[in-house]
Amino acid sequence: MSSERAQPKRPRIPVHLSMGDPEPMYRQIESQLRDFILSGQLEPGTRLPSMRALAHDLSCSVITTRRAYEDLESEGFIRTRQGIGTVVAEISEEKMAAYRREAVDGAMGEAVRAGRRAGLTEEDLRDILEETLQREVASVHQRGTP
Amino acid sequence: MTETAVLTLKDVKKSYGHFELGPVDLDLEPGYVVAVVGPNGGGKSTLMGMLMNLIQPNSGELRLFGGTYPDDEVAIKRRVGYVPERPVGYDGMSANSLSEFFSRFYPKWDHRLYEDLLKRAGIDQGKRYDKLSRGAQRRLSFALALASGPDLLLLDEPTSGVDPLGCREMLEDISRFMEGGDKTVVFATHVMEEVRRSADYVLFLADGQFLGLYGKDKLLEEWRILWVDREPEGDVPGLVEVEGGSPARIVCDSLQETGQALFAQDIRIVRSGVLDLEEVLSHLMRQKQGREHGVSGRRSRV
Repeated sequence: MSSERAQPKRPRIPVHLSMGDPEPMYRQIESQLRDFILSGQLEPGTRLPSMRALAHDLSCSVITTRRAYEDLESEGFIRTRQGIGTVVAEISEEKMAAYRREAVDGAMGEAVRAGRRAGLTEEDLRDILEETLQREVASVHQRGTP
Repeated sequence: MTETAVLTLKDVKKSYGHFELGPVDLDLEPGYVVAVVGPNGGGKSTLMGMLMNLIQPNSGELRLFGGTYPDDEVAIKRRVGYVPERPVGYDGMSANSLSEFFSRFYPKWDHRLYEDLLKRAGIDQGKRYDKLSRGAQRRLSFALALASGPDLLLLDEPTSGVDPLGCREMLEDISRFMEGGDKTVVFATHVMEEVRRSADYVLFLADGQFLGLYGKDKLLEEWRILWVDREPEGDVPGLVEVEGGSPARIVCDSLQETGQALFAQDIRIVRSGVLDLEEVLSHLMRQKQGREHGVSGRRSRV
């Protein structure tokens, strides 16, 4: 289409909304953006779409994208400047590490709860953790790269 | 009414013969796209007509940008871009002559945008309006409304007769118009896909009854079909419909609350599904009818 050419380039981000997800849409946007930022896929200074443009891309309302951007801004992941728009913020190494640690804590907690539901004892859980660690270490050695 | 409201309607009613619209109560801040939806003959065009002072309400108060008709008519209309369902008086005019006419009335007329919109729609600017296809007529009318530099766009079935690619472009144009965050769009449509794609709020009208203004995402998030291992007992918040059986099927309009209540009764959700906007509309219509016929609560059993 000739119209594609006439339009100025605007930033896009690979966020995806799933309607069946029990998580509200603004949370889905928040967690995906947070992951992209923490993993370094979206570097500090990267321009993000405006709230309206993101709403258009995701077929959601600007109420949703505003809420997601406001939350991410208050958590320090992004910042909005008049005239410039929204960009990914500079995040300190400690903060990055803390967030990464948080994700692991969450996964561990989930694993422990799954163990309890399955009727396992603390002892069993420790054994499983130990076995898992050994198995993972072994497979890393086999592949040669961490 | 707040100082910043774009639209304020208080207890607005209009009747013709057997048809009665309203009462409509509405307070709309700028920055949003509002879709007016409902079955044909539900009052969509009447509402749009009243916002343009083409139809006068029988009672109630109607304000645009804080002003009223007829006192502030010119000031209001300079800030409104309107796409009527069937424009009157365009027939013998070309895109060129229409723009001459429009640019005289609207101080913020944007001729570059106008030409760009027409070019993209492939409209011959010298051709008479009545010689254009229905889709091209809609896009010309849309271009006139957008190029008049409005703060509020009122669009009555703007995409009817427009091909799917053209519709897509129009929705993109609307999104671009909304970019700054201080403009407003109110559009009447029966195409739910457009509503799903572009609206922030949905205003439901059926049989002249105002069924409310809802955040679109909230509707899609909170209305759910839940299949549960047994029927809930007592008062469960948010229940709209319960169909017994095993599993039982529930329609709810507030997932969080209903989910918590089910959890408290130790009822397991086997499966959950989303409702589309048509289904939500038909439930809202039934709820309204139910209330009017004195059926208690909003819970209906099938």
